[in-house]
Amino acid sequence: MKKLVSLLLALCLLLTVAGAMAAEDGKITIWTWDPNFNIKSMQIAKELYAKINPDVEIVIEEVLSEDIETRVTTAATSNTIDTLPDIMLCQDNSFQKMVMFYPEVYANLTGKYDYEGFPAGKLAYSTVDGQNHGIPFDAGTVVATYRTDILEQAGYTIADLTDIDWDRFIEIGKDVKAKTGLPMLTGQAGSIDMVLIMMQSCGASMFNEDGSVNFVNNEACKMVLEYYKTMCELGVFAEVNSWDAYCGTLANGSCVGTINGCWILGTVMAVPEYAGKWALTNMPKLPGVEGATHYSNNGGSSWALVNGTDIDLALDFMKMYRNVEFYNEILPTTSAIGTWAGAKEAPNYAADNEYYGAPIFATIVEYTAHVPANQTGAYYYDARGALGTAVTNYMLGGDLMSELQAAEDETNFNMGF
Amino acid sequence: MREGAASKYVTRFIMYAFLIIVSLISVFPLYWAFISAFNNTKEILGGRMIPSVYLIENLKNLFAQQNVGRAMLNSFGTSILQVFLALAISSIAGYGFEIYHDKYKDGLMSILMLAMMVPFVAVLVPLFQFFSKLKLLNTWAGFFLPGMATPFLIMYFRNSARNFPKDTIEAARIDGLNEFQIFIKMFIPMMQPTYASAATITFMNAWNSYLWPKVIMQTADSTTMPMLVSNLMAGYVIDYGVVMAGVTLCSLPTIIIFFLLQKSFTNAVAGAVK
Repeated sequence: MKKLVSLLLALCLLLTVAGAMAAEDGKITIWTWDPNFNIKSMQIAKELYAKINPDVEIVIEEVLSEDIETRVTTAATSNTIDTLPDIMLCQDNSFQKMVMFYPEVYANLTGKYDYEGFPAGKLAYSTVDGQNHGIPFDAGTVVATYRTDILEQAGYTIADLTDIDWDRFIEIGKDVKAKTGLPMLTGQAGSIDMVLIMMQSCGASMFNEDGSVNFVNNEACKMVLEYYKTMCELGVFAEVNSWDAYCGTLANGSCVGTINGCWILGTVMAVPEYAGKWALTNMPKLPGVEGATHYSNNGGSSWALVNGTDIDLALDFMKMYRNVEFYNEILPTTSAIGTWAGAKEAPNYAADNEYYGAPIFATIVEYTAHVPANQTGAYYYDARGALGTAVTNYMLGGDLMSELQAAEDETNFNMGF
Repeated sequence: MREGAASKYVTRFIMYAFLIIVSLISVFPLYWAFISAFNNTKEILGGRMIPSVYLIENLKNLFAQQNVGRAMLNSFGTSILQVFLALAISSIAGYGFEIYHDKYKDGLMSILMLAMMVPFVAVLVPLFQFFSKLKLLNTWAGFFLPGMATPFLIMYFRNSARNFPKDTIEAARIDGLNEFQIFIKMFIPMMQPTYASAATITFMNAWNSYLWPKVIMQTADSTTMPMLVSNLMAGYVIDYGVVMAGVTLCSLPTIIIFFLLQKSFTNAVAGAVK
């Protein structure tokens, strides 16, 4: 027994010494998620940077986005920021919240990084009090993509769905539903992605510029909810039970198309038998609303640099995100579409996508430039949850104004008002 | 008489029907995960409930994307070390609290029991601060040290020690055994079912633990199996076949351990209920 205890203690000591972290100069540690997307893109950046600065060691660790937030929270509250990496990826919708709660962690990059060419709508996600804390990466630019073979059955083409408003979309949707039995769009019940996409397309947010919640007096929000309910009632938009079921509708052809962030194209293109049967265009806009556009955003992420680390070296490395060669290389291997306007100069962006038979990536970069900015704030997910409840109740027959009031009250309560 | 017999059969039929339905509901997620490991994403999303031919491809992709061997080694290493340490420390503590109890030790035990009420998340920050100052981030020791003695296990062994006959201890003392020898040579052999069930519980907790490892194990080389599986769920495009292959691989060790120790586990639980 004594021998066993001694052996175990010796082993613990050995493992402790062997595994202790060593902070080294000339080394950049990066936390990000998704091996086929963010990690692969970062590896390409690393390889390209090695040609410029071969002495720098770059270590990329796979960490989930929510785990990064947990680690930042733990490190910031325990005053151990030195346990964080030099660079970490952050979901755009969480960026402002994290900077507001843990300003000591996120480096202020205003005046230190060249932001020319990045769209204002994307930069707004990582901007707090006019100071930029993020380097934009992938676009969540919204695309509308439809099965052309199904549209043809109903007598429509992709041109009929380009540059239209939601009234016309519903009209076409009703006709397509009558002729094919399929809904134009599907979405996860209880998720309000579609509602938020429609709101942002006309520059509306869940928050005012001063950070106060904005549901009751938000005319765009009311209009969007009315359109959303109408589409569901007419069967133009079919709600399904889960995200998996939503992906399933795209994979098994039980809907005509989808309107979502451009990252959904990976799911669409995962079904080889439908190659050449999809087309891409812009989303419908809200009729009669000032500032309404055909462009919106859903998802996407930006890089954050951690205070206290070697910011200059990390900033030098992050110049890769303003490099045409980098964007050209990541596109075919990851399908990651950058938000930097210079990316569209890359030859791969101008080339036809094999699956779609069209230069869809150049189109998406073009859309990105027109996306209106969105106010996310520190309580984005609280507001989103409250609005989700309001949408569900409204769909079940609740009064729109009462539900929006309840959502606003709940969000205000969570914000401490 | 006949009516009574018929009523008995009906009751039994209802009982068995209920148990079969509940068992099927319990087993279904495991069945679905296992079967889905043989299918590709399209088949899984399409609701296919029978195995297809993609198991090898899913496993190949899983091993290509993730360092499964390293994650398995980390999970096994940390879990086994945690089981050994937790059993050694908690059983000695539980035995001591019961056999040598007085009002001070009982008071201390009550304080320990109170610690059970504190959720782990409440101690996460100070614990992380402590371990990072000790340079124990990304080490096996950092993983298992917080779980090496839990109030639950101490209470579990203390309750089991109540069934340990006091006369045996007296007899052993008269025969010349010292206190440590009594514990080693008499208590441990007699309490094997308790040790087996405690080992099962501790192994499962250690293997499945996620919150602590995800803050303390920060490098690719220190990833554990649950962290690896959750990594597979990240991203815009999820390969559900690979996820299910990962889930199956991650579940197998705990299932095997449970089946190996099942008899002892049920004996100990039944004994504890008595």
